[in-house]
Amino acid sequence: MPTPLELIKKKRAEAVSRIIGKGYLSTKRVYVGMATCEIAAGSKDVMEVFQKAVSRGLTDVYLSQKGCAGRCNLEPTVEVIEAGKSPVKYGKVDKDRAQQIIERHLKNGEIIKEWVID
Amino acid sequence: MDNTKKLTITINDKEYKVDPGQTIMQAADKCGYHIPRLCYHPKLSIEGACRVCIVEVEGMRNFIASCCYPVADGMKIRTNTRELRQARRDIVELLVDNHPEDCHTCERDGNCELQRLVYSMGIRHRHFTGERKHYEKDLSGASVIRDPDKCILCGRCVRMCSEIQGVHCLTQAHRGFNTVVMPAYNMPFAESVCSGCGQCINVCPTASFVEKNYTQELFEKLNDKSLIKVAQFAPSVRAAIGEAFGLAPGRNMEGQLIAAMRRLGFDYVFDTQFAADLTIMEEGSEFLERLQGNGPLPLITSCSSAWMKYVEQFYPDMLDHISTAKSPMSMASAMIKTYWAEKMKIDPKKILSVATMCCTAKKYEATRPELDVHGMRATDLVVTTREMAWMIKSAGIDFVNIKEEKPDSPLGLSSGAGAIFGVTGGVMEAAVRTAYELYTGETLIDIELADIRGFKGVKEAKVVIDGKELRLAVAHGLGNAHKVMEMVRKDRNRFHFVEVMGCPGGCIGGGGQPYATANSIPLDEEALRLRAQALYDLDRGKTIRRSHDNPDIQRLYREYLGRPLSEKSHELLHTHYKAKLPRGIVSPELKIV
Amino acid sequence: MTATPYRIIVCDGTSCINKGSRKLTAILREQLDKHGLADRTTIGLSGCLGMCDKGPIMVVNPGYTIYGRLTEADIPEIVEEHLVNNRPVARLVIQEDHLYNRFFRVFGDAKFFGKQMRVTLRNCGIIDPENIDDYLSLRGYEALAKAITEMTPDQVVAEIEKSGLRGRGGAGFPTGRKWRLTANEKATPKYVICNADEGDPGAFMDRSAIEGDPHTIVEGMAIGGYAIGAERGVVYIRAEYPLAIKRIEKAIADARAHGLLGKNILGSNFSFDIEIRLGAGAFVCGEETALIHSIEGARGMPRPRPPYPAAVGLFGKPTLINNVETWANVPVVILDGANWFRTVGTETSKGTKVFALAGKVVNTGLIEVPMGTTLREIIYDVGGGIPFGKRFKAVQTGGPSGGCLPEQYLDTPIDYESLTKAGSIMGSGGMIVIDEDSCMVDVARFFLEFTQDESCGKCTPCREGTKRMLEILVRITEGKGKPGDIENLERLGNMIKKSALCGLGQSAPNPVLSTIKNFREEYEEHIRDKKCRAKACKCLVSYEIGDKCIGCGACKRVCPVGAISGSPKTKHTIDQDKCVRCGLCFNTCKFEAIAKV
Repeated sequence: MPTPLELIKKKRAEAVSRIIGKGYLSTKRVYVGMATCEIAAGSKDVMEVFQKAVSRGLTDVYLSQKGCAGRCNLEPTVEVIEAGKSPVKYGKVDKDRAQQIIERHLKNGEIIKEWVID
Repeated sequence: MDNTKKLTITINDKEYKVDPGQTIMQAADKCGYHIPRLCYHPKLSIEGACRVCIVEVEGMRNFIASCCYPVADGMKIRTNTRELRQARRDIVELLVDNHPEDCHTCERDGNCELQRLVYSMGIRHRHFTGERKHYEKDLSGASVIRDPDKCILCGRCVRMCSEIQGVHCLTQAHRGFNTVVMPAYNMPFAESVCSGCGQCINVCPTASFVEKNYTQELFEKLNDKSLIKVAQFAPSVRAAIGEAFGLAPGRNMEGQLIAAMRRLGFDYVFDTQFAADLTIMEEGSEFLERLQGNGPLPLITSCSSAWMKYVEQFYPDMLDHISTAKSPMSMASAMIKTYWAEKMKIDPKKILSVATMCCTAKKYEATRPELDVHGMRATDLVVTTREMAWMIKSAGIDFVNIKEEKPDSPLGLSSGAGAIFGVTGGVMEAAVRTAYELYTGETLIDIELADIRGFKGVKEAKVVIDGKELRLAVAHGLGNAHKVMEMVRKDRNRFHFVEVMGCPGGCIGGGGQPYATANSIPLDEEALRLRAQALYDLDRGKTIRRSHDNPDIQRLYREYLGRPLSEKSHELLHTHYKAKLPRGIVSPELKIV
Repeated sequence: MTATPYRIIVCDGTSCINKGSRKLTAILREQLDKHGLADRTTIGLSGCLGMCDKGPIMVVNPGYTIYGRLTEADIPEIVEEHLVNNRPVARLVIQEDHLYNRFFRVFGDAKFFGKQMRVTLRNCGIIDPENIDDYLSLRGYEALAKAITEMTPDQVVAEIEKSGLRGRGGAGFPTGRKWRLTANEKATPKYVICNADEGDPGAFMDRSAIEGDPHTIVEGMAIGGYAIGAERGVVYIRAEYPLAIKRIEKAIADARAHGLLGKNILGSNFSFDIEIRLGAGAFVCGEETALIHSIEGARGMPRPRPPYPAAVGLFGKPTLINNVETWANVPVVILDGANWFRTVGTETSKGTKVFALAGKVVNTGLIEVPMGTTLREIIYDVGGGIPFGKRFKAVQTGGPSGGCLPEQYLDTPIDYESLTKAGSIMGSGGMIVIDEDSCMVDVARFFLEFTQDESCGKCTPCREGTKRMLEILVRITEGKGKPGDIENLERLGNMIKKSALCGLGQSAPNPVLSTIKNFREEYEEHIRDKKCRAKACKCLVSYEIGDKCIGCGACKRVCPVGAISGSPKTKHTIDQDKCVRCGLCFNTCKFEAIAKV
C-alpha cells in the first residue's frame, strides 16, 4: 500500500502530464487574469478574444486563466510566456489590445512595448 | 486538579477565598460587593451586552464584564476606581441619552431599574446628548404593548421569550444605533406568535413592555350607575398584591383586596377560586371519561391563556388532547352572566364582569369569541394585579390597614384545591384529589402531592387509582411545556394527564404581578416560593380542601348545571380551540386535522 | 523511469546577465542537444528573480530546484545528473527561500514585486485556480500528505506552534496556541472554520487569495482538521464574493474527486470534508463568535469570551477558526518547515503579510511583504509613491479598526507590535494611503460612520457611544464644532476601547483617537478657525471668483441657488450667504477663475 505521500507524488506526476497534454510546452503560453477585479475591469471580453482566436486556428498557444496578481490599477492583465524569452505582461488590456496582442505578438513575435508592465 | 479547592482573589486590595467555577460578579456578590448591573439576570443566559458591570482586572488591557468572566486564582479585581466609575457612568449616560425624558408620565416612574441605575451612577448632567431613536408604539396586542423608544436593548425580553418561554417571538432586528427589538417581520404583536404571557414585562428594566392598561376605562365604568359591577380575582393575585404596597412577598391579602374592591365601587366581589373548583369538576370528569376510553389521552390542561395560544400556534396537532374545559376566569364569568344573573333576576347585559388577574394573557382570552356566552362577552375587562394595585392607590384606599372582608355568595366560597390553582402543579393536585374520589368512591388520605410541587421545570409523578397506575406530568413556563409536548408527540402513551402553566412558577409568576422592587430581582425564586407558600397555607387552613366538597359547587350543580359534563355544562363551561399557524412558517411535520 | 519533460528557467535579470547567464544558456542548449533532451525540455528566461547575490540563477522544473552561483563548468553536470539521471545536484542547489520570489519566474515586473515575497499568494496569479492539476503540479496537497504520512497530529500542532505563525485576521493571536487549545479539548465532534467574511472597506486580500488559489485554503483546513481531530470544516464566505464562492466550491469538489477530501483521505484513516456557508454581508460576522452564530442560523452577534470557540464553538463544540490568510500559510509551514518559516519576518512576527494597497498611491494593488518591511518601502517602493506630485500625509492600516500614521512613522516596520505601538494595528490587511487633499477629521468620520453602521447593536458602548462620537465628528466637519468636542471624543473613545464587548467595538474609536493624536491641530482648526486645510469639508470651504474671470456666465447659469451675480464680460461675484458650497461653479469654470478658499 503506497503512503499518502507516495500517492500525492504520483498524483502530481499525473497532473503534470495532463497539463503537458494540454499543450503546456507549446511555444507560447497566454494567461488572462480572471479574478473578480480583473473581470470587473473587462477581462472576460479579453478572454473571449483569445478563446475565439484559438478556436479559429491560433496554434502553438496554451491559453489559461489565472487569479489576481495584485496589479489592480493595471487590470485586466495578460501575460505571454514564450520559451527562451523573458515573460511579458501587458496591462490595461481591452478587446482591441487583445486582438493586437494576437496579431502582433503571438503571430509575429513583436512585443508591444507601450503596454508592457515593467 | 481539585475543583473544589478555594481560590484566592483580591477585590479592591482585600483578599478573599472564593469557590472556583463562578463569575467575578457571583464571587463579588458573596464578598459583599454588589457590582452595578443591568442586562444580567440569574435565570437567563449571559448576554454581556450592557457593559455596566465592568471591573478592572490586573494584567488585562480592557475592562472586564464581571457577569461573564470566570474568577481565577490570584486574580486582582478592582470594582470602583476613578476610571471605572467614569466609564460606567458614561455607559449609563449613553443609555439614557437615547431614552425618552418622560419619566414623570411613565408607567414605571419610581419603579424603573434604569432610573435607579442613573441615580446610583451619579449622573447629574449630560455630556453626550444627541439624536434619539423613534419608533411607533405597538398597541395592536390585546395583552402587551411594546414601546421601542424606551428600550435600552438589554436583551432580557428576547432571552426570556426564547430561553424560558420558548416562544421566540422577540428578537433584535437591524444593526447599530437602529437596533430594535421586534417580532419577526416586524409584525404587529396581535399578528405575531406572542402568547401574551407578559414575561417580557416582568424582566424589562424600563417600560418598553407594559400591559394594555384598562384602569382608566374601569374607573369610568365603575362610576356608571346603570351597570352592575361584578369582580372576580385569581388565586395568585392575593398572594402577590401586597408587594405592590411594600409588604414582603407571601402575604395573603384576600380580605383586604375584597374590601378594597368594594370601596372602588364593585357591587359584588366573587372569587375565581370558586370557578377553579368548578373547573376541577368539569376537567376531572372529562379526564375520567377519557380514561374510560372516550377521547384521547393524555389530557392536557387548558386554564392558562398563554399556553392556549402557544398550543394553537405550535402544537395544532395536539388540540384534541387539550381539555375542553374553560379557564376558571371564563367559567366564573359564564356563571355570573347566566346562573347568577338568573338567580338575581338581573339582565346579564347590564353586568360589567371584571377580572383581576396575575396574568396579561387573560386580557386576550377575554376577547376570544369562542368564550362568549349567549352571544355576550363573558369577561368584560381584565386588569392585572399591578393595575388593580395602582387603582387602589390612586383611589386613596388604605389597602394595608383596611379591615378584611369576605367574598359574596354564591360564587365566592372555595376549597383549598381552588387556591393552589395558582401554583405550578396545583391544577394537577386539585384534579387528582377530586378524580380519585369520583373514580373510586373512596377518600384520598394523603392529598398533598409532593412530587409535583416545587419549581423543577418538568415534574413527573405516578398515582395509583383503583389499581391503575396513572402517569402525570407538570410543566411551568412555556419552554418547559415545549419539552413535555415533545415527549408527548414522541410517545402519546407516556402520560395520562399533563398540566401546563404558561408562566414560570405558575400563575404566581404571571406577567401581571407586581414589579420587582429596588432590592429584588424580577422572578426571584425566593419571592415565587413565598407566594406559592401563601397559597399552600391557604389550602391547609381550609376545612374543605377538595373541589367536590365545596357546598356552593354542589349547590350550583343541583340548582343549575345538573352534573359535570351535562349539556348545560358543555354549553357554558366548555369550548374548542382552533389551529392558529404562525404567519410565514409552517412546520412540515404538522398534520392539521 | 519515464523521461520527465523539463522546463528550465534561466534568470535573465541584469545582474545575472553580467555574471554570464546568457553564456550559460548557450551551453545548456548544447548539452541538451548532446543528450538528446532538446525536444522534451524547454528553456525559459525570466526577469530578475531577486536573488542577485546568488546569481547566475537557474531553475529546473518540475520540482523547483534552484541552482545558484553557477559557472560554465556546472552546466554539463546538472544536465547529466539532474535531467538524465533525475538526481538534483545537491552542492549547487540554493536551499533557502525557494518560495521567495517564485513570482519572478513568471512575471518580472521587478519594481512592483522587488520588495514583495509571495508565500500565501505563492500561486495567485500563476496557476489556473479552477484546475486542480495546476495546483497539484506545484506540490499541491503534498503538505497534507506529508502531515498524514510522516507526522502525528501532535507534531503538526507543534510545527505550527514553532513556526511563530500568528492570526492574520487582525489580532495576531498565536495560531499554534489556538490549535493546541482546540486539540486538547476532549469534546467531539470538533470543527474547523475558515473565516472568509472579509469586510473592511477597500480590503480584498481574502477574496483574491480564494479566487487565485482556492486549493491552498482547502489543504490548510484539511491539515488543521488532522491536527485537532476534526472531520468537518466550514468555509464562511460572504455572499458578495460569487466568483470566490464558485472557485472554492469547485476546489472542494475536485479535491473530493481526487480523494483529497472525504472519507479516508489518500488511503489513510483520516477523513475530512468541507462545506460552505454564505454570510449575508454583516461586517460583525467577521468576529468569530458572531460568525459562529451566523453559521448556526442565529443573529450574527458576538458573545462574551471566554469560553473561547476552541472550547465552546460551532454548535457548542470545540472549533478551530482561522482567517483565510492564516490557513494559506499552513501548507507552507508544513511543507517547508517551521525553521524555514521563522527565517522570514521579525522577532515577534514571522512570515509575510498581505495588504490591499489603496488610496493615493501609484501602484494600487494586492501585495505581500515579509514582516518587518517598513511602511516607507511599501508605499514608495512597492506602491511607487504618491501620484500627481502630492504630499504624503498619512497611511491608514487595519481598516475601520486601525489608525492613521503620519510621516514620522513611515519607517515603522510592519509587525503586530510595532504598528500597535505606533497607534494603529496590523488588522486584516487594508492599507490606505492618504495625501494632502484628504482631511483627517473627514477620514476619521468616514471610518466611524462605517463601524457605527456595522455595529451589531448589542453592547452599549459600541451602539450608543460610536453614534455620539460620529455626531461630534459630523458637527466638526460642518463647522459647528465646540470647545470640549475633542476631549469628549477622547473620553468616549477611550471608554469604548476598554469597555466594548467585541473587537469591532473595542477598535472602532481607533481611527478617531489616532487622528486626534497625530493631527490634533487639524481638529483644532476645524473647531476654532472653522477651516479645513485640505479643503475637503464642504461646509468649511468657500468659493471665490478671481481675476481670471472673463464673465462668460457659465457659473451663474449652473448655480442652483442663484448665488452668483455679474454682468456679461465682467468679473462675477459669489454671495457667500446664499452659497451652499455645492462646488458646481468650481467644476464648471473653464478658466480656473474660481478658487476654493
